[in-house]
Amino acid sequence: MNSKNVIANATIAGSFAAALAMITAPAFSAPKPPQPTMDKCYGIAMKGDNDCAAGAGTTCAGTASADYQGNAWKYVAKGTCTTIKTPKGTGSLEPIKS
Amino acid sequence: MSAMPAQFEMSFADALLNADRPVPCGITAHNAAIPTRRFAVYRNNVAVGLRKALQSRFPVVEKIIGEEFFAAMALVYVREQPPRSPQLTTYGDELPAFIAAFEPARELPYLADVARLEAARTRSYHAADATPLGADHFAGFDTDAVAGIRIDMHPSTEIVRSPYPIVTIWAMNSGEQELAPIENWHGEDALISRPSPQVEIRALPPGGAAFLLALAAGLPLGRAAEAALAEEPNFNLTGNLAGLIGSGLVRDIVFPQPKK
Repeated sequence: MNSKNVIANATIAGSFAAALAMITAPAFSAPKPPQPTMDKCYGIAMKGDNDCAAGAGTTCAGTASADYQGNAWKYVAKGTCTTIKTPKGTGSLEPIKS
Repeated sequence: MSAMPAQFEMSFADALLNADRPVPCGITAHNAAIPTRRFAVYRNNVAVGLRKALQSRFPVVEKIIGEEFFAAMALVYVREQPPRSPQLTTYGDELPAFIAAFEPARELPYLADVARLEAARTRSYHAADATPLGADHFAGFDTDAVAGIRIDMHPSTEIVRSPYPIVTIWAMNSGEQELAPIENWHGEDALISRPSPQVEIRALPPGGAAFLLALAAGLPLGRAAEAALAEEPNFNLTGNLAGLIGSGLVRDIVFPQPKK
């Protein structure tokens, strides 16, 4: 290891003390504050996710035909990818032209 | 049939995932010797059930590419990689790698990393509960010993590094942030944790991922800080220590053995 990257114990101790002092304000910005008073139980599921105890993997579809065909690439994505602007432009997911 | 259960199970599983296979030998019904239509209903429900399991685990990926595209992609995945565990909560662990190699999704290079974040989010949600150590626990420490302590990380801690702004993309597509073009396109390392019942997802500051990964690998605090500094010259030790403790990532601390 490069010697200039060695941190003195005193520096670490000082940072530690300073860190404890600043914990009253969270250092990593969280999109949503924690809710420490809630108990974990059935019925509390992640946002955007169904309760895995019963929901996922169960279905009442009950049809004999396949719901979606594997050749559905003819579909252009209707999601939000076109909103996400990348340095190379937005996504489109149009069919691959071969 | 009962003489060769393994062979029957294999042919049954094969017929479940491939619609061009005949009804497995030995399947019968009161109204048909070979219940082709009934078996097709069963087969379709298996595929739809697995697709729905993936949908419920990867809602942001689905939002980005749309329901139809996701459903079609899921069907290919289900056929190629059927569940290997009866726990459907773990199904889809390999979906990020699948997406990375999936030709029709090549235009969205960030999609696989967003999927990695969502997979990590579910793992974090189902990880063991533990009460993290609060800041008050560290008050009155022998500060000279701080560099040598090791951190027992909270079991829900997950880190996903990416050259794409995956935390911003995730937040915009999960309703946490307003959906808008991302002008400042840069890599983001995600911290996923669940110190309380709510899964939290945050973007880590520079060097934060290297620091936390080194701690999780068992390095003492001083060595972990050096590893982070080696990767990121602007690594802010104070800020990252505050983040480590303040975000509830510390389940326990292990003191170095006293010198003899």
